[in-house]
Amino acid sequence: MKLLDSFSCSALMTLLIFARACTVYSQENPTSADDATREVTSEAPALESELRMSVAERFRSLEAISETPDFQRHVVPLMGKLGCNGRACHGSFQGRGGFRLSLFGYDFQTDHDELHGRLDPTAPAESLILQKPLMQIQHEGGRRLDEGSWEHHLILKWVEAQAPARSTNPDRLIRLELSPPEVVANNEGEQQQLRAIAVWSDGSSEDVTALCRFQSNDEQVATISQDGLVTVGSAGDTHIVAFYDSAVIPVPVMRPVSPMNGESYPEVQTPSRIDELVVGKLKKLGIVQSEVCSDEDFLRRVSLDVTGTLPTPNEVKTFLADTDSDKRTRKIDELLERPGYAAWWTTRLCDFTGNSDDQLNNVTPVRAEASRQWYDWIEKRVASNTPYDDIVEGIVMAVSRNPGESYEEYCQNLSTLYHQGSGVRFADRTYMPHYWSRQNFQTSEDRVIGFAYTFLGSRIQCAQCHKHPFDQWTQEDFQKFEGFFKGTQGRGNNPHPTAKKEYDQMLAGLEGTEGLKGNQLLNQFQKLLKEGKTVPFGEVYALTPSKGARADKSAEKSQENPRRNRSPVPTTARLLGGHDIDLTQYDDIRRPLMDWLRSPDNPLFAKAFVNRVWANYFHRGIVNPSDDLNLANPPVNAELLDYLAKGFVEHEFDMKWLHREILNSRTYQLTWVPNETNQHDTRNFSRAVPRRIPAEVAWDIVTQSLANTSKNEELITSVKDRAIHISGSGTRNRGRSPADYAMTVFGRSVRESNCDCDRSEEPSLLQTIFVRNDGQVLQLIDDKNGWLAEVAARYGLTFRPMAPTESDRGSEQRARAAKKRSEEQLAALRKRLNAAQEAGNKTQVEQLKDQIKKLREKAAADGIAMMEEGVAMMEDGVAKMEMESDSGSDTAVDAVVAVTTISGAAAVEKVSLPDGWNSEELVREAYLRTLSRSPRPEELATATQFIAEANNPVDGLRSVLWALVNTKEFIVNH
Amino acid sequence: MSFHRTCDGIGRRDFLRAGAAGGAGLTLASYLKMTEAGEVRSGAKAKSAIFVNLNGGPSHMDMFDMKPEAPDEYRGEFSPIQTNLPGVQISEHLPRIATCMDKFTLLRGVTHSVAAHQLGTEYVNTGNRPLPSLEFPGYGAVISRELQGSPELPQFVAIPNSAQRPGYLGVRYAPMNTTATPQIGTPFRVRGMSLGGGLTIEEVEKRSNLLSQLDNTFGDFEKQNQLLEGLDSFGQQAHTMITSTKAREAFDISHEKPEFADTFGRNGFGGSCLLALRLVEAGVRFVTVSNGGWDTHNDNWNLLKTRQLPSFDSAISALFNGLAERGLLESTIVFVTGEFGRTPRINKERNGRDHYPRNMFMLLAGGGVRGGQVLGESDETGSMPKHDGYSPDDVAATFYHALGIDHTTEYHTTSGRPVMIVRDGHVIPEVFV
Repeated sequence: MKLLDSFSCSALMTLLIFARACTVYSQENPTSADDATREVTSEAPALESELRMSVAERFRSLEAISETPDFQRHVVPLMGKLGCNGRACHGSFQGRGGFRLSLFGYDFQTDHDELHGRLDPTAPAESLILQKPLMQIQHEGGRRLDEGSWEHHLILKWVEAQAPARSTNPDRLIRLELSPPEVVANNEGEQQQLRAIAVWSDGSSEDVTALCRFQSNDEQVATISQDGLVTVGSAGDTHIVAFYDSAVIPVPVMRPVSPMNGESYPEVQTPSRIDELVVGKLKKLGIVQSEVCSDEDFLRRVSLDVTGTLPTPNEVKTFLADTDSDKRTRKIDELLERPGYAAWWTTRLCDFTGNSDDQLNNVTPVRAEASRQWYDWIEKRVASNTPYDDIVEGIVMAVSRNPGESYEEYCQNLSTLYHQGSGVRFADRTYMPHYWSRQNFQTSEDRVIGFAYTFLGSRIQCAQCHKHPFDQWTQEDFQKFEGFFKGTQGRGNNPHPTAKKEYDQMLAGLEGTEGLKGNQLLNQFQKLLKEGKTVPFGEVYALTPSKGARADKSAEKSQENPRRNRSPVPTTARLLGGHDIDLTQYDDIRRPLMDWLRSPDNPLFAKAFVNRVWANYFHRGIVNPSDDLNLANPPVNAELLDYLAKGFVEHEFDMKWLHREILNSRTYQLTWVPNETNQHDTRNFSRAVPRRIPAEVAWDIVTQSLANTSKNEELITSVKDRAIHISGSGTRNRGRSPADYAMTVFGRSVRESNCDCDRSEEPSLLQTIFVRNDGQVLQLIDDKNGWLAEVAARYGLTFRPMAPTESDRGSEQRARAAKKRSEEQLAALRKRLNAAQEAGNKTQVEQLKDQIKKLREKAAADGIAMMEEGVAMMEDGVAKMEMESDSGSDTAVDAVVAVTTISGAAAVEKVSLPDGWNSEELVREAYLRTLSRSPRPEELATATQFIAEANNPVDGLRSVLWALVNTKEFIVNH
Repeated sequence: MSFHRTCDGIGRRDFLRAGAAGGAGLTLASYLKMTEAGEVRSGAKAKSAIFVNLNGGPSHMDMFDMKPEAPDEYRGEFSPIQTNLPGVQISEHLPRIATCMDKFTLLRGVTHSVAAHQLGTEYVNTGNRPLPSLEFPGYGAVISRELQGSPELPQFVAIPNSAQRPGYLGVRYAPMNTTATPQIGTPFRVRGMSLGGGLTIEEVEKRSNLLSQLDNTFGDFEKQNQLLEGLDSFGQQAHTMITSTKAREAFDISHEKPEFADTFGRNGFGGSCLLALRLVEAGVRFVTVSNGGWDTHNDNWNLLKTRQLPSFDSAISALFNGLAERGLLESTIVFVTGEFGRTPRINKERNGRDHYPRNMFMLLAGGGVRGGQVLGESDETGSMPKHDGYSPDDVAATFYHALGIDHTTEYHTTSGRPVMIVRDGHVIPEVFV
């Protein structure tokens, strides 16, 4: 594989041990830090004797200094450490006080130029860059340097030497070695000095502890001074991160939470490799895992996690009755074959790949069809367990045409998709090009950011404008990587340049398209497609680098007018952490990118995915946030992430292998009930941590748990009309699905900003109000296809819905209009009645009274709530009502009160329990269909008593059902 | 804190008119002195806010920034009328607003460069120019986070919905959407907040008791878990709101006296503004009102004079007057804006005006905003601000400032990126009394 040569993975993985030091290559991937300590290579270790001592020593005494500080190795890191190039100071894009440095300092040329204007070569000590931080003259940033300090001497010496710039052929930092490799302390307040050694490409090495910036990822657990002294705080674990030049090195710090650590750790079960690795870390921390969860908890958890669906009451019973020891494994296998699995994981993949209606506007002639195609294309592959890398290839390498398809065939085939009843599916096509057609994926910068998010689980955007503060990436890395994204034409309704003629011909033959553009043309296409016509389509296609521009027949032209016809495609590009690649040898310059992704040595591709899968099954990723793999954000358990990523690659990106591996672990199956050692642990997977159920699943299970028995069971085998089957997402085109409101309040991913945080799993007030009291939910409880109606029918009870009959906005408006009409009619009749009464026309009075009565009955039958008042009032005669309703608005207010009184009064008649009614049994069923477990005795007693006290047993049961879907237990996965 | 707008001494030029409030303008020097002394911040008068979004882009040329002297291809067919502010004229189709100019500051020459509806709307609803990689929180989300409101009421209500999303602050700061537009004189209920279908308070109480008896699986563990604790406290708050008559009554605008309500105009816009007033009165911190129909590419003048301006005129004047009458104007800042103005040059073909962000108007009232003044100025054809103009960011900073929120406060996005509430704005000191 030519790719690998250029990528030089072996160099990347070169690690060595130096003395007691943890040696980490500066460009090492973010997740193998711990592995690193175990690997020894043939590269010669740096020798202590060759080591230059710290600048803090060398520059202590001004008289003794004979060297000139180096701009890259000393001056810029020192300014970083002093905070000069920070965001709040001169690193700000506006600069400060007219002086601007590159943020986090990796633009040596610019920084040097800027500094040069602030030097006084004739009187170095009077240079602004000394006088300001020494506060010899006013400095908004305050005192940064102490007179006579080594820092002061270092800068002074540099200025005295005429401030040399970075050499034109600079040495590279090979690695930064941190020692000790891990800090384990037993007591609060224990201290440990870290030491950082920089090794450069010229073979020199230097103690740079004094020039490193340090940060603690959790100041509760450990703090670090800027001299590198670690002080351990409360029990737990975190990382200290050291920054120097482009290197970012994390050092784990741990303080056990209990004496049961190391040798004194109890004997525990570790049935799987995952368990061994998780417990391996817990052992150091003195944390013991919780017990394995009950079968009921397991079944609910795994059903929700894998299929986004609750188990049916019967499924719970059957599973509990099963005495086979491998029943959990069998259940996992069974769930992975259900359509819910494919639907849920397609939804997640659509999240990661960014399937958003908003961004796909006008990509297909039929609105919202692009997002449906996107979803279906992935769903087909998830259902058939297509390897993950193959799915990704179909997206990353996507062009619109199938291999070998001519433009004409392409248009015919695509048109057929839209012809009614053709049965042709987009999902059967080779590629899924819409990924490249999104509005927010058109510039090469946006593509780098989106691609890194989707396939590398990384946030590279910082490096777009400056050195990445938490990763090794520099702006140059970003720009070189961008090259791979400049060869794909993704948007617009244009065909490949070679097919332009055919496109025009096709268009000319189509009626009603003349002079139309953009939207209007698409609308016309939509119409023509409905008529079964073939229309021309635009396409996503690959451009070749300028050398290959002849493919566009423009080579000759480009010689005539090179400027106009210059291909936007560069001839070289650089993979992240790799070397330059000659792009001219590729027909599609994305090929080396794809090869790199699926290469076993890719540091991020497999990890990004396994980490996201893990995060779906636990409350957090092994790296958290799950889309933020960077050097300064190391995994909580590097061996665990490495094991899963390696296994995933070795199993040829078999997603079901990954799911099984995780789901069958004891660690996944732990109870949420904590023990003394793990009650505060939320990092190391020592127990289950309750999670709020994701938006789609939340709405689906509300629906499912309230549905009648047959519907409830049907949802196990069908995902039709489910929220987990909604294809697109977005904030701008809402209102298509009845689940939209629920999706908004529960925080479905908006797939907008290249962030897993586009999905929210936070609780909110609106969510709670929604489930408690929104018409849409209340109506589901009382739905004619609901379980409550089924029970009422089973026992021949009259079913009196309590929810508003319809709840969406439209119906409210219709109801309001209907009410208004009725009110007006009523007012007119009353006026006439009044007149008739005054005139003493008894016949007419009777007639009018009758008409009024009928009007009210009709209104009541139409479910116009306000009119119920009228029905009640009838008994008291018209006169009283007239008195009470002088103004329209008052009538309406009274109406609400009146309704309240009536239902209160009507409810006084207590309905006795019908034959065969068994409250306990019904409560059990209600528990099974909502919480997937049997009620505890006290719950059973409370609920049955509540039903017994209700005036109508159906009303009682309704409240029990309502209460169950409103428990915290219902809405969290636990 | 720096004030680029006033550094060159042009600060005072914007004091075009000393309105009814009179008095000399606030100079930069005196403002800075106040800032140093901490007086500006502590002096924030607004406790709540109403944001009126005119979706589609209202025509500045035909409303608040008329150019009767401009050539035909710019002028438009409306005539200006004199307002109660000496020397200030606005459109003849805004007669009521012309009589209450003393209640607000009119900003002319607000300028930006985003001519698309969606992005422009995001801009004026967040005070930040939209970025593809980051969704900024709307004003309402920030304010619900920064200010405490009554537990019986939602913090942030959108009538009927809002472009102000919680962005990187998270779902918890999302608005409660009424989803429907209230009509004057008609009972109004809100999704999830009303008791429908014969459900009584008594019934709700009973249910809730049952719920609390059954909802204790997690027991004491709840206190150790943020999610469970959060769900629990939201549960209590939801119950309070659902059963509170305060909330329901605040939402039901049919409780309002007809003679007061009718001044808002018997239409959706009027109903929305009346509801906004009632909600603020009840203690809601932030209300947005969305009103559409302003995208007048075709038939601009006819649409404006028959459909848009009459309802706008009555709703907005009634809102300003009503807040003042109820003593709420001092503590409530009102911000009225569209996403952009409309092309000064008339689109003759369609007899309309198209999108135009280079010059637009905004209104600010209440909450310490000086009433009766015009700030900023546009050129002879209403095409550009005459001087620097104001940016939406500046107005946003000013809006936050009135509410005692420092717009330079930094939040951290979920990815840890630090972002200022308003990244690029500067408070406009002249806005304040």
